Amino acid sequence: MQLKKSKMNKKTLFSFVAIALFTTFSFAQNRALPNKEVKTLDGSNFNITNLENDGNPIVISFWATWCKPCKKELNNIAEIYDDWQEETGVKLVAISIDDTRSMMRVAPYVNASDWEYEVYLDPNSELKRAMGVQTVPHTFLLNGKNEIVWQHKGYVDGDEDELLEQIQKIAK
Amino acid sequence: MKKYLTLLSAILIITSCDIVEGPYLTDEAINPVDTITNSYVKKVLVEDFTGHLCPNCPDAARELDAIHDIYGEQIIGMAIHVSKSFARPYPASQAPSFQYDFRTQWGDNWDNFYGISEMGLPRGMVNRIGYPDNHKLSKDEWATEVSNELNQEVDFGIDINSTINSITISSNILNNVNGDYNLLVCLTESNIINWQKDGQENVENYIHNHVLKSVLTDENLSNSTSYVAGDQIETLINYDLTALEQYNIDYSANNTAELGNGNAGDWNAANMSIIAYIYNTNTKEIVQVEEAQLNN
Amino acid sequence: MKKIASLLMVFGVSFTGFSQQLNTGEIHGDFGLNLQSYQEDELIGATVADEVILNNAYLNLNYTKGNFATGLRYESYLNALADYDSEFKGNGIPYKYATYSIDGLEVTVGNYYEQLGSGLIFRSYEEKGLGIDNAMDGVKLKYSPTQGTYLKTFIGKSRTHFTYSDGIFRGADLEININELLSSENKIKTILGGSFISRYQERSNLIFKIPQNVSAYAGRLNLMYGSWNYYGEYAYKINDPANVLSASKMNYARGKAFTQNITFSKRGFGVSAEIHRTDNMTFKSDRDKDGKAYLINYIPTLSKPHAYSLLALYPCATQADGEFGMQFDVFYKMKKGTFLGGKYGTKLAFNYSRINGLNGGNSFLNDNTEHSPMLISIKNEELYFQDINLEINKKINKKIKANFVIANQTYNKDFLEGHVKGDYGVLNSTILITDISYKIKRGHSLRMELQMLNSKQLEDYSAHVGSYENGLEEPAEGDWGMGLLEYTISPHWFFTVQDMYNYGNELSKKQLHYLNLTAGFIKGANRFEIGYGKKREGIFCVGGVCKLVPSSNGFNLSISSSF
Repeated sequence: MQLKKSKMNKKTLFSFVAIALFTTFSFAQNRALPNKEVKTLDGSNFNITNLENDGNPIVISFWATWCKPCKKELNNIAEIYDDWQEETGVKLVAISIDDTRSMMRVAPYVNASDWEYEVYLDPNSELKRAMGVQTVPHTFLLNGKNEIVWQHKGYVDGDEDELLEQIQKIAK
Repeated sequence: MKKYLTLLSAILIITSCDIVEGPYLTDEAINPVDTITNSYVKKVLVEDFTGHLCPNCPDAARELDAIHDIYGEQIIGMAIHVSKSFARPYPASQAPSFQYDFRTQWGDNWDNFYGISEMGLPRGMVNRIGYPDNHKLSKDEWATEVSNELNQEVDFGIDINSTINSITISSNILNNVNGDYNLLVCLTESNIINWQKDGQENVENYIHNHVLKSVLTDENLSNSTSYVAGDQIETLINYDLTALEQYNIDYSANNTAELGNGNAGDWNAANMSIIAYIYNTNTKEIVQVEEAQLNN
Repeated sequence: MKKIASLLMVFGVSFTGFSQQLNTGEIHGDFGLNLQSYQEDELIGATVADEVILNNAYLNLNYTKGNFATGLRYESYLNALADYDSEFKGNGIPYKYATYSIDGLEVTVGNYYEQLGSGLIFRSYEEKGLGIDNAMDGVKLKYSPTQGTYLKTFIGKSRTHFTYSDGIFRGADLEININELLSSENKIKTILGGSFISRYQERSNLIFKIPQNVSAYAGRLNLMYGSWNYYGEYAYKINDPANVLSASKMNYARGKAFTQNITFSKRGFGVSAEIHRTDNMTFKSDRDKDGKAYLINYIPTLSKPHAYSLLALYPCATQADGEFGMQFDVFYKMKKGTFLGGKYGTKLAFNYSRINGLNGGNSFLNDNTEHSPMLISIKNEELYFQDINLEINKKINKKIKANFVIANQTYNKDFLEGHVKGDYGVLNSTILITDISYKIKRGHSLRMELQMLNSKQLEDYSAHVGSYENGLEEPAEGDWGMGLLEYTISPHWFFTVQDMYNYGNELSKKQLHYLNLTAGFIKGANRFEIGYGKKREGIFCVGGVCKLVPSSNGFNLSISSSF
């Protein structure tokens, strides 16, 4: 009786685990990007779901020209961006939440700072709200399928190291 | 295509706008309403919370005057000076400007209870309508509320008589009503010539009108909560003007926290009026108000 | 057993396949909580709360599935923080929506935010720091009929606190991107836009004719060529008098405003110049009410938003009723290796802004008076605000980074704060800031800030006989000093100690220290911050809309989380 039970238990256990794995795998969906539009620096509309990077990771960073830690983060990463791209193929997308008051300063600031990021504008915070961003800086990491796999609020010197670690984990 | 049309029609919902050409006065500019002596009309109390250091407040007083010009005696105004920042008298070193303390204990209590000056001045109440959420009205809202209130039912009629040391209030019940009502009787003084900030200027000889001076009584109108049409309730109040004046002087002198200076006397009985109103103690709404010259 | 096992396996596999087509949608949102305690502090005149602690909290919940989304926001004010409007009371769900898009048409019902053009005639938005949320409640449609044309239209009522304002708004906007429309590869990019908004509010006034439908129009043009970018918008609002009875206060003048900016940017160098003029452009969701909760348009102030506390001590509030402003910014990066650039390069940011009143005040029109100010008038008009500042950003070596700011601000305290002319006059302040970060070791950094503000009252402020010790109108604050030390441990911790010292105050009892300690923990999507200390009474502005922050002493806790 006991032998039979243990045999049955092993097999049932295995199948249950298999099912559990399958169902968890299928139901645990990573968060997708919301269907919202932002503006490019030359005034056109751009749907954020159209972001692409050939299956490589994408970093989305919300910032503003009046936000000191945001500028610090993006300037610090700018210095090592080339190395990051070479190593992981990552693309950084900087989304400015500057509204009409400071929106016109975004392009001159970005160019003067020599950033090579893709920069978009979110003047009435539509994307910011849809992604649950409350304060800037707020950084998201997307995998090759544009799914959000990691996020981080705020920035202090050295945070870019943790960001790189996360990127390396999912880079192909 | 269908969606295109739907959207187009959505746009066409937008109506045309109303550009008004001068002259801007309507054709029916109304004359003041004469109070008919035989029957009681609905009268409305507008409380204007103000202060002599409040530069925007004279606009509210002028708005109250304009409302009074339209509706005549149906509008009874009361200016209540409140708050340290807007109504405190200047220190003696600044004499003679802004030396008077217009504040009273009752004005300060109402300000605390109804939360008026914390919203900034000028601000006021019309018949205390809208308590507890919508009673603090900016001066631009008074005209509308007044016209709403004037259309309300007249349930009470008040008669005021006074002698040198007593006031008799006759409250006449005009309809059957139920409720908890209080009768409040107070004194105001008009034609007080004193300092007032007005816009960008300090005006030395501003005329302050219907300024609250003293509350004589605030008691239950009667013991019951049901009133029958045709009933009349007499209330007799004895008063001593000198004692009331001294009370205010003491209140101001003791009010060191709010920078009072005891300069709250110099009442001129010839310029004083009695305002009596009946209000519902639960809703705080004033259902009838009356004003009469003080016979002193 | 084998049978059962294999049956279960098949089940599992088919279930997987089925669920991947099922796509049950996702739920996500964010949560925020802000709590503060208010203790007695006579020195700074701190507000004390009967409740001891005041708290704002909210939760956003969104469900999305394909092109459909719905969600709500729960807000709780038990009771609201002292710098929030007191009408924020209790709990509720003031924001809920459902939206879907199909074949290019996007439909939203319930609450939504929207901005027409740059916001001159209409902007519905939220700014939690100010306590502004004028979300619309109604229906919004967006459609793009052809490539390059974008149409949106909406109807709704605007939120004020936990209720909705009287006025019913109907709006529409059409934007045409000429290059996209004509599939043109022209080097000059052109975008044209036109917007319209109308407010209906029932009104009757015994002696004045009051329009019940008040509308505003705006047209905009955006031109881009190479490194140049031009944006201009002109707005017009028909007569919008208040519903009062005092003849002298009735103003039937139309509202007019324009804003224009030009920017030039290329590698290492950027310039931005803008001007704007407003005349009678206050547009409210209820014509009779006052306060920032009723503003329905957005005219940002033409001054630089400052992050350093002493630079933001005297902020400028937009005068939508009448102001003329201009602003000029230069961004320059001195290359590394050059003499001035140093080893790593140096960044410069120069900003100049000036805002003054209109000639003779804003437009006025009624039966007795008529006034129309000049279009452009700068030199002779009353100065409201002026700001000249230069920021230098330099990496000194591998461990040290420095930021220097020098600024001079002119602040017309009488006008901007609504005092009688002559009470405080015009303040002129010179500000110096040093901000140095030192990298101790990998992941550990120390940052130090030293700020100094030297202030003097410019114009002859009258009527102040005798000393201030008698308790008269307090003098303007005078000089300030500020010091801050911040220690951060990447990626989770930060600690800050900060002191603002009003050493230059004429009243010796007001020469106070405002000391503050903060500590925070951030991990992934969660952020916790706790602080203790004194806050100075001041004005906090975002975009030219301001709120009064009372002085307070106590501890504060803030938690935010996204999921």
